[in-house]
Amino acid sequence: MPSTLRDLRPVRVIGIGLHPYQRASDTSYVTLGLRAVREALSDAEIAWTDVEAAYNGTALLGVAPTRAMLRHLGATGLPVLQVENASASGSSAVAQASLAVASGVCDVALAMGVDKPGMMNLASAKAGVRDLSGSRIAPFTHFALLANEYMHRHGARPEHVAQVAVKNSRNGAQNPYAQRQKARSLEEVLAPPFISGSLTRLQCCPIGEGAAAVIVASDDAIRRLGVRARRAPRILSSVTRSERVYEGASNFDAELTRETTAQAYEEAGVGPADLDLIELHDAFAIEELLYVEAMGLCAEGEGAAMLMKGDTDIGGRCAVSTSGGLLAMGHPIGPTGVGQVCEITRQLRGEAGPRQHSEGRTGLAHMVGIGAVCVVHVLQRE
Amino acid sequence: MADPKAAHPGLYRIDREPPPLLGQRCAGCGRLAFPPNPYGCEGCGAEADELVTEEIPGHGELAAFATVHLHPGKDIEAPFTVGTIVLDAGPTLRATLTRATDDGLAIGQRVRSQLVPRHSEDGGELLELRFAVEET
Repeated sequence: MPSTLRDLRPVRVIGIGLHPYQRASDTSYVTLGLRAVREALSDAEIAWTDVEAAYNGTALLGVAPTRAMLRHLGATGLPVLQVENASASGSSAVAQASLAVASGVCDVALAMGVDKPGMMNLASAKAGVRDLSGSRIAPFTHFALLANEYMHRHGARPEHVAQVAVKNSRNGAQNPYAQRQKARSLEEVLAPPFISGSLTRLQCCPIGEGAAAVIVASDDAIRRLGVRARRAPRILSSVTRSERVYEGASNFDAELTRETTAQAYEEAGVGPADLDLIELHDAFAIEELLYVEAMGLCAEGEGAAMLMKGDTDIGGRCAVSTSGGLLAMGHPIGPTGVGQVCEITRQLRGEAGPRQHSEGRTGLAHMVGIGAVCVVHVLQRE
Repeated sequence: MADPKAAHPGLYRIDREPPPLLGQRCAGCGRLAFPPNPYGCEGCGAEADELVTEEIPGHGELAAFATVHLHPGKDIEAPFTVGTIVLDAGPTLRATLTRATDDGLAIGQRVRSQLVPRHSEDGGELLELRFAVEET
């Protein structure tokens, strides 16, 4: 019988750090990454020499970016690994670092993500399986089609979907690390340019550059290094799945999220009613409605009503994307999933300042990667 | 002048009206899949030699549509409209629709395949498979 993360020794997040997400600039990825790692080390109040392994989520930088960056913290000889899992690369780096600590092969591990905008060289284009739509259905059109189908099925209107971007822009405006820091009205979100279907520009996430870092550690290390355990939420579950054949289903992304989240709940011993915070893959506004339903926060078709009631606002029943989400904080690819864990940790510690959600104990981080893969982590303050 | 060719050889026939799609039926699990692949069955893992080409009639129902306003490719100029189509034979696919805009489109409409000519980069003629709303 295989073990789950929770069966192994506890893994806790002891340090978080970010380089703000921003438009592409001539800042090198090394500068971006080092800032996030140094901030995480200082947040954890530990030294770089205490870190025993590094996992770096990155999809766009090219071969072997990690040691060329981390050597400038002092070349300690630690094992380093690039982790590529499309948009979920950073989430998968967190998963690998967590497993390394949980299994006992190391006590302190770094999960980070760093990327700069570049050519997305999709291997599936070389797989030798062509379809009719090809490049005509970019991700924004994939989600425009799902939005069209969702609105028809549930009688929702474009302004309900757009309200996701309104909420997340409001949260992002309170986040100094966010790429979009301007609260937007419904009118602004609905304004052209239309990108695809009913999706306007502000309902699509900005893809820029940035970095995020999370340091995870065992209880042994927490004692030995004198880390303040109160600030170190536990990673209760870490689940990665890939798409199956969903015969008859109209929405494969929702199905994949449904089953990945269900497994993460089971392994963590929690349910949707226990969640205080969620950071999810809202690359396009419609996704938030699809995923809160797939996660069981409400019944199918009720996502828009829950949003309009304010249940997913900061201070609501379960705050969704207090960081601003991908829509406002941004989606620099590699860092994104790590940045979600930074946000949930900050919230669970009660250190989120003006965007602090009341009394958070349990949070869930969710990313989807093209292909498709899905990675979910559940964190809890003890 | 050279005969027109399929824009996506191997995905549909261009000598019949409405053009049938070329799918694969798995001899192992019976699953009908589109598009075809040269590797193996996504349903059960049967190897490629168990995947038998099967013509799928180009009739189905429109399940979703979206007008694309941003497209960097040179194969078609935006705006154009794409749709999700559930074929009567089972498989769901996505394709370009014959109408440039979503004017008059509705989920649930009957659609059928249609060949639409376009020029290839070398000046030849390509026949693209799109879907058109059926006249009632």
